[in-house]
Amino acid sequence: MKIDRRSFLSFLIGGAAGTTLSPLTWKLMDDSAIWTQMWPWTPVPEDGEASYVNSACSLCSGGCGITVRKIDDRAVKIEGMKGHPLNNGGLCILGLSGLQLLYGPTRVWTPLKRVGKRGRGRWEKISWKGAVSEVAETLGDLRKKGQSHTAGIISGSDRGTVPRLFDRFLTVYGSPNLMRTSSIIDSYELTLHLMQGVQALPGFDFENADFILSFGSGIVDGWGSPVRMFRANSTWCNTGGKVVQIEPRLSNTAAKSDKWIPINPGTETALALGIAHVIIKESLYDAEFINYYSEGFEDWKRFVLDEYGPDSVATITGIDSATIIALASSFARASKPLAICGRGQGTTPGSLNECTAVHALNALVGNINKKGGIFAVAEPDYINWPEVEMDARAAVGMQKDRLDGAGSKKYPFSRHLLNRLPQAINSGEKYPLKALFVAGANPLYTMSDSKAVKKAFDKVPFVVSFSSYMDETAQNADLILPNHAYLERYEDIPTPAGMPKPVIGLSRPVVKPLFNTKHTGDVIILLAKAMGGNIADAFAWNSYDECLKETLGYKWRVMVEKGFWSHPDFFVQTHEESFDTVSGKFEFAPKETGSLKQFKPVKIEGDKTNYPLLLIPYDSIRLANGVVGDPPFVMKSVDDTVLKGTDVFIELNPKTAGEHGLREGQLAMLSTPVGKARVKVHLFDGIMPGLVALPRGLGHTAFDDYLAGKGINFNELIGPVEDSVSGLDAAWGIRVKLAKA
Amino acid sequence: MKHKKAKKYGMVINLDKCTGCGSCMVACMAENNVPFRKDESDKLLSITWMRVYKLTNGKPFPNTDICYLPRPCMHCEGQHEGHSPCVTVCPAVATDYNIETGIVSQIYTRCFGCRYCMASCPYKARYFNWWDPVWPDGMEKYLSPNVSPRMRGVVEKCSFCFHRYQMAKEKAFMEGRRKLKEDEYQTACTQACPAGAITFGDLNNPNHAVYRMVKPDPKHHGRPTNPNAFRLLERLGTNPKVYYLSSREWVRRVGDNYLKNESIAKKTVHQG
Amino acid sequence: MDSALIPRGVKRCSLWQFLLFISVVGAVLLWGVYAMLLCWIKGLNQTNMNDYYGFAIWIWADLAVIAVGGGAFFTGLLRYIFGKDELKSIINYAVLIGFICYSSALLILAYDIGQPLRGWFIFWHANVHSMLTEVAFCLSCYFGVLTIEFIPLILENRQIDRVPFFHHLSHNMHEIMAVFAATGVFLSFFHQGSLGGVAGVLFGRPFAFREGILIWPWTFFLFTWSAAACGPCFTILITKITETVTRKKLVKDSAIELLAKISGWMILTYIIAKTIDTWYWATVTAPSLGQTLMDFYSNNPLYGIWILFAEIVICGFVPAAILITKKGRKNSVALWIAVILAVVGVCINRWVMVLQVMAVPVMSFDYWAMYFPSWQEIATTILPVAYGIILVGLAHRYLPVFPDESELNPIETLPAEEEETVEPPVDLEQELKPAGA
Repeated sequence: MKIDRRSFLSFLIGGAAGTTLSPLTWKLMDDSAIWTQMWPWTPVPEDGEASYVNSACSLCSGGCGITVRKIDDRAVKIEGMKGHPLNNGGLCILGLSGLQLLYGPTRVWTPLKRVGKRGRGRWEKISWKGAVSEVAETLGDLRKKGQSHTAGIISGSDRGTVPRLFDRFLTVYGSPNLMRTSSIIDSYELTLHLMQGVQALPGFDFENADFILSFGSGIVDGWGSPVRMFRANSTWCNTGGKVVQIEPRLSNTAAKSDKWIPINPGTETALALGIAHVIIKESLYDAEFINYYSEGFEDWKRFVLDEYGPDSVATITGIDSATIIALASSFARASKPLAICGRGQGTTPGSLNECTAVHALNALVGNINKKGGIFAVAEPDYINWPEVEMDARAAVGMQKDRLDGAGSKKYPFSRHLLNRLPQAINSGEKYPLKALFVAGANPLYTMSDSKAVKKAFDKVPFVVSFSSYMDETAQNADLILPNHAYLERYEDIPTPAGMPKPVIGLSRPVVKPLFNTKHTGDVIILLAKAMGGNIADAFAWNSYDECLKETLGYKWRVMVEKGFWSHPDFFVQTHEESFDTVSGKFEFAPKETGSLKQFKPVKIEGDKTNYPLLLIPYDSIRLANGVVGDPPFVMKSVDDTVLKGTDVFIELNPKTAGEHGLREGQLAMLSTPVGKARVKVHLFDGIMPGLVALPRGLGHTAFDDYLAGKGINFNELIGPVEDSVSGLDAAWGIRVKLAKA
Repeated sequence: MKHKKAKKYGMVINLDKCTGCGSCMVACMAENNVPFRKDESDKLLSITWMRVYKLTNGKPFPNTDICYLPRPCMHCEGQHEGHSPCVTVCPAVATDYNIETGIVSQIYTRCFGCRYCMASCPYKARYFNWWDPVWPDGMEKYLSPNVSPRMRGVVEKCSFCFHRYQMAKEKAFMEGRRKLKEDEYQTACTQACPAGAITFGDLNNPNHAVYRMVKPDPKHHGRPTNPNAFRLLERLGTNPKVYYLSSREWVRRVGDNYLKNESIAKKTVHQG
Repeated sequence: MDSALIPRGVKRCSLWQFLLFISVVGAVLLWGVYAMLLCWIKGLNQTNMNDYYGFAIWIWADLAVIAVGGGAFFTGLLRYIFGKDELKSIINYAVLIGFICYSSALLILAYDIGQPLRGWFIFWHANVHSMLTEVAFCLSCYFGVLTIEFIPLILENRQIDRVPFFHHLSHNMHEIMAVFAATGVFLSFFHQGSLGGVAGVLFGRPFAFREGILIWPWTFFLFTWSAAACGPCFTILITKITETVTRKKLVKDSAIELLAKISGWMILTYIIAKTIDTWYWATVTAPSLGQTLMDFYSNNPLYGIWILFAEIVICGFVPAAILITKKGRKNSVALWIAVILAVVGVCINRWVMVLQVMAVPVMSFDYWAMYFPSWQEIATTILPVAYGIILVGLAHRYLPVFPDESELNPIETLPAEEEETVEPPVDLEQELKPAGA
């Protein structure tokens, strides 16, 4: 058959028309639409049996109870545990996004050993056996050379079984250098020690208080146990409790408070004493408490009356005297007033003067160890392990001074002074640090003056990280011995700071460990066994889980059942039994605190001529600034007036911005005596003119692409300022220069 | 008062209690398999079913005040039931008003991405999947099977955790009950809010907390009669089912548009 | 080479010149196609649209081409229904422009949607309450009508016309064209209107929202009216441009003048209605929602009150005034200015009803959102223009688009051999393909 062009064309056209009208077209259309509804690259979560596991969150020290929803063996959602004494169903933004850490790309999958130069990010996988024996060997060598004291540990906490195992290990090994990361708790512990003679944690009965005088504490910005504080804040909404917030910047807490009183930064002590002045002068104090249960009041009274009249305090603080008088009066007349301190989330200890002055206000109104007041909460003594038997080497090592100077002649009362460690290493005045363990902490990010900290780390020849995540410290370690993630392990979560009664949470494995990780508790036990001798003898347990179960005893069962244990018959101490000072009374003016010296603001770094403005940090619950950084979900919640692309915004009063010729969104260069940073300007009416505020929690160099490289780490711009009494970091800010970039 | 058989689920958010902590946002993302990208700082491209706005009173230091306002989908009822701004415009019935619950749904497999609904929504509660959702390796393990992840090119928004309603109904059915208890169906944000600022329940049921808090006026499409309560853009006549409580007058005023000298008390509902 | 395809009695440039022209425009077209493929394959993240700008330049382009394509239905109405015979000089071109505009609109819609493969859901799962559904149905149907109106013109190609079947088909289609014209008018009324309704029904957006009759907001009628008024101006404008490019008179002055006159009166009545609508909206509708006129035109870098002035006065009353006066219509420069202004005016109107609607904040704490299209959006918006130019070029070269062209441009000497150089019919059909594409 001959096909001419015409018939060929007809065939084509006819064929095309026929195909269009045939069902095939419609079928193909339908198929393509269905295909778009199940693209193979869009995941379809597998269904399975749902179950719930109760555990405890340990992403911060808040200690919330969590309930994790599971589908088969996958954890799919973290929720707050209903009925938990701290959070009762609620949960913070970080806790809610915990699964992004568990399943996230920042996990360390297996023990790693550094290859090449430190911090280059090149690693080789090693076995657990190899890793443990390497550590044991290094430590053994030091010990043999009589240098056991040159080993140290930086720990996020010194409470709970794992930190205590570290403590035990270091003691029997022979080093005094276990250093806890510092916070306002250090100042409070010291205050309670000096004024009440007790070794205890501060506990605040917020739920029953009706007037909160907060000296910059971020009640709803992550201070204390965050969810508990949110709930307390709502309780005050219902009960009519009042909050007065004193700080130079309109924080979320200030916005939520009933009255925000802006104050010149760093003059909080003067205000506290000024309030005391008014209370004393108008005899509004609790006479019974003062007369029967306090010591040194007369001296203190004279000092306060002489030096801190409302007018002079007004000059120092920038708050007019009428406001001070009114504030003092409403504080003292409230039925359950409570004064607290610790700026923002309380991540820096602040000056001891400030803490004692604020605590003295509580004493003036007699709300110590009383409903709605402040409690000295002794640690529940559930960790009762047999005393370690130290050999001669250990005994010698333990006799050495701590590297950070805590407990030294200069700072006899302080227990941990981690802020002094970089300086001690860098100056080399005492002895070098030859091996450093880091657990539950990320000092290379969280310690101020990042450059100095990095320099100090570089001088330590052997750094071991126990982090579950590739954080800044792990990145710069020689060896990473990854802990199980918090949802993969058993651990006791001791009473969170600020809780007026003991509550121990139980963290327990929600999922089986995903990677080749090992519980740090087990690693310590293995390490001790590898080192043998007295050290091995001090660790008789076969595993950490065995140790934990044995340690908790009868509480274990309760904790497994409920997820936490709280003291069933916790009782409030009477004033007679509260104070363990020499006088047996509350000490208004312990000599050591220097309260009777003329108030001098903490001298922060920088001179006024070169650095005309003041830089202060601010904390936000949406910016994790502790051991872990923001997971992707939390980053997503960060406002575009805080971070845009990789640029962080400083907050600037429009007036100050105008003086510097800066507009909204403009780039600027911040320079402090410690460092420089390029930032963007955000105009905010809620900040005092002359101040620059920068958020904490950004500027990570580690973790994943969702977090790293965004913004500036505040710690690169500020250095520690030693408190003359405690030795703790008292810096609340630093002088700064601002220029167009 | 005998209430109608149909439910009208709604939410009351107490702005006096809201601290702007963002838990609601993340609880929602975790519950609903919301995707995320490396840079989420461009909020015009960031999928946040629940978004917390930061409001300011615009006054200079030291009289400045701020207030946070969480904004889920308002599940508007419109001038008559189902006349939500978005439901009426969707050309393919991919967003629907459930008469039984009053919930505005979004059917991802039906949506073809014309984005007309986004144009119609004054609350900007609707979000488009400009990208394919991608989870870092291993992270897709936490995805919940109760909510299907969305594909590129479709619109998504808050569903008042409708799957939780279905699960609660199923559970009740298995237990031989026909009615849900008040706390049986709660959205993820309500549950997570650490401040307890969110209350969720049936606005048609006088015994439910939401009803008691705002006292909706049925003659005016549920307009709140509690003087501290307001709805966003009340005057547009969208009749949202999300109510806000605030003791601060400036906050209540920010909730709608007013002419310069207009007083807030005048609540004209536009009868478009 | 292609002279056998060129209509009788007219002169065309050389094939090489023509091919060069086509390939230059074709390059732009390919650029647009590349951008279009990017949008299809990678998704709409290729655009600068965002969650505030869900509707952006594409929707504007869509609305604008449909508005200016309104010349087809309105000229058809005048020609076939009202029997304005003078317009037969321009009707073919009006239909062609309409065809280009509407096919472009459909093309733009095909890449504007996030899930193009599900685009047919709009028909299958139609929501009859949605203005967009109405648009989709009327638009597709009217495109069919335009195709039917366009076919006879294709069939009039010298070589196709030689096929008796096509010849008769074409003839018969001409006979019943009035029916299609009427259908087209009906459909146009609704889809032009429903495009106006798309914005007008947005009761959540006080800037766009308008009251109206029954289910139709005032914008429904204003859009139809403005399309009928400004569409013919676009037809005139394109005709004028074509005449300038080809350096020939193609359409009789009487046709242009008649169309311009009718258009002028339409614009005048439209702009009066638009003014009343704006006034009512600014003084009654918006204030009842707590907003003043200036709320919509301040605190942003672009949208000032100038845009309203430009749309209503400069691009509304001014062209209307020119076109309704005989002097204005007769003056070539004035006519040029008037039709350009009218087209710009309707495009501004569509821009405002799409992009400004998206930009204006509604919640008191929200902010103005500005937007600039990505290159992919620009390329895909230029794509239909390039396509239109190519189609006009092809049609002009091979089809008797302008029936009066040979009369207006008599060719002195007709090459005698032309008839003999006709290539055999078998080859012709091969050559046909580009014309039909």
